Amino acid sequence: MTHEKSNIRYAVELRQVDKIYPGTPPVAALSDVSFSVVHGEFVGIVGASGSGKSTLLHVIGTLTQPTNGDVFIDSINTNGLSDRALSGLRAKSVGFVFQEFFLLPGFSAVQNVANGLLYSGVSSAEREERAKAMLDRVGLAHRMEHRPNEMSGGEQQRVAIARALVHDPAFVLADEPSGNLDSQNTSAVMDLFTKLNQDGTTIILITHDLEVAQISTRQVTLKDGRIEGHPDMLSGVVHE
Amino acid sequence: MSDRSQNQRDVLRSHLSFFDLVRVGGSGLKTRKLRSALSATGIMIGIAALVGVLGLSSSGSADLIKELDALGTNLLRVEAGGGFRNSPTSLPADAVFMIERITPVYEVATVSSIPGAVYRNDLISDGRTQGISIKATDLNLLATQRGSLQAGVYLDDVLAQFPAVVLGSVAAQRLEISELLTPKQIWLGNNWFRVVGILNPLPLAADLDRAALIGYGIAEDLFDYDGIAEVIYVRADPNHILDVREVMAATVNPEFPEEVQVSRTSDVLEARAATRNTFTNLFVGLGAVALLVGAIGIANVMVIAVIERRNEIGLRRALGATRFHVGAQFLIEALVLSGIGGLAGIVLGLIITAVYATFREWSILIPEYAVFGGMLGSLVIGGIAGLYPALRAANMSPTEALRTS
Repeated sequence: MTHEKSNIRYAVELRQVDKIYPGTPPVAALSDVSFSVVHGEFVGIVGASGSGKSTLLHVIGTLTQPTNGDVFIDSINTNGLSDRALSGLRAKSVGFVFQEFFLLPGFSAVQNVANGLLYSGVSSAEREERAKAMLDRVGLAHRMEHRPNEMSGGEQQRVAIARALVHDPAFVLADEPSGNLDSQNTSAVMDLFTKLNQDGTTIILITHDLEVAQISTRQVTLKDGRIEGHPDMLSGVVHE
Repeated sequence: MSDRSQNQRDVLRSHLSFFDLVRVGGSGLKTRKLRSALSATGIMIGIAALVGVLGLSSSGSADLIKELDALGTNLLRVEAGGGFRNSPTSLPADAVFMIERITPVYEVATVSSIPGAVYRNDLISDGRTQGISIKATDLNLLATQRGSLQAGVYLDDVLAQFPAVVLGSVAAQRLEISELLTPKQIWLGNNWFRVVGILNPLPLAADLDRAALIGYGIAEDLFDYDGIAEVIYVRADPNHILDVREVMAATVNPEFPEEVQVSRTSDVLEARAATRNTFTNLFVGLGAVALLVGAIGIANVMVIAVIERRNEIGLRRALGATRFHVGAQFLIEALVLSGIGGLAGIVLGLIITAVYATFREWSILIPEYAVFGGMLGSLVIGGIAGLYPALRAANMSPTEALRTS
């Protein structure tokens, strides 16, 4: 089932994905969504609230399974995978950045970042070492032992980004990462994303804010559960 | 899925070592110390009650059993009483002779009441007897009762012929005689008697504690004692004590066996032990109720924790935790809570036992099953209490868990 259509290795590929929530009447959150992201890209997915952004995030992040269609993560078809397999896939291939940061209170920055490696079978010593290196990379070397409540929003989000990157995932999935930040911190976080992307990190940024999405190298628009735009815009391969 | 490469199989596996699992489970309590401590308190009280009660009852029973062993359960008390005739009954004159013919009997002692009162001296007004009675007895009594002396000596062949008296422990207290370093005399039945000994308490014959004991010789000389025993204490082979008891009445008084009362003095002590067991059961029951309440408390706290930490559950799922990892985390948290409560309860129970047993001068004896059972019990309770919250956490959908209110 390995996806080997060509020599191109996709970080994410969605093929005709539907997500229908049961109910009366059933709600189609995603309809016939097909698009892909190549390693090294910085893609912005823009959509108003209610457009299916959250559902798309959850489907790409393998937190929920599509009703129809296939989702390939790092060339692995996630269709029919067990909870344990999907969890393992997330632990190794996906890095989440959330609007609310979701740092664990009572844990230092290093411990929070090290949690990004907790479920990938890496020893405790190595987790801490890599967490420190990653915090250094996002410019928080001086905040290693600080707890979330001792840091600014921008610093907290940088800790969260470090946590998303520490296990060297196939891509980072950022959900409104600047939603809780002021303009100054927003530009700092966006600069960090740009820099990380230039260093080779694949980033998928989901936002309602067109301006924020501008920093990505390719934007797709989500409206009423459908991807809009020229088909060429839906694949990073054609784009390049 | 057989065509998956080794690399893919490796990617598709979420890992969390047991050590990390325990650490993650314990870490949840760190940020909610007060609440954790409070919810562990219920378990602590329950376990402390159980360990304390079991420890105290063992310590207490150990002493009671030791006492029983020392005193023996083979002492019978034979006296006149009951019957169908109107006249007051008494034991036949040859009762002792008859009893001694029962083969398993090896010690016999007799006691008889002597009318009269005991005073500290001849100046105290009549009637202020302080409840002390005069008993004539033979030389076997002390040995038969397994009694011992606080001070002085017991009656012997010679002393029994003279106005010499041995006081029971309570009688000595009431007469305010605690030592015999200087000669002491008391006014007994209108005669001066020299106090030659003071007994320690006799657990098998509490009435003798309040008696002044004199010899039969002097009783005949001064008080016209008729030679008929009132109470006969009989020691017999412990293996045949029930048989001896069976034949006792007919042997003592073949004509009117119903007029002979036979009792086993150690029965009282055994009844005391049984009473204590009843109380033990009652307190064990109370401890079990406290444990139940503690378990509900932990379940309650854990359910709240699962609701409160919804986002943490979502985050962990996003970081690659499986359902099992999340469930195990909360189960271990409940186990750590109840384990801490159980440990604290055991320590508290041991302290209670040690302090109370020391206070009562018992030997401290804590049954191992109380300690290990307490620890195991608290973990089982924590497991049961944590099961539902753990399942709830495990089955929470990650997308639901990541939603912010």
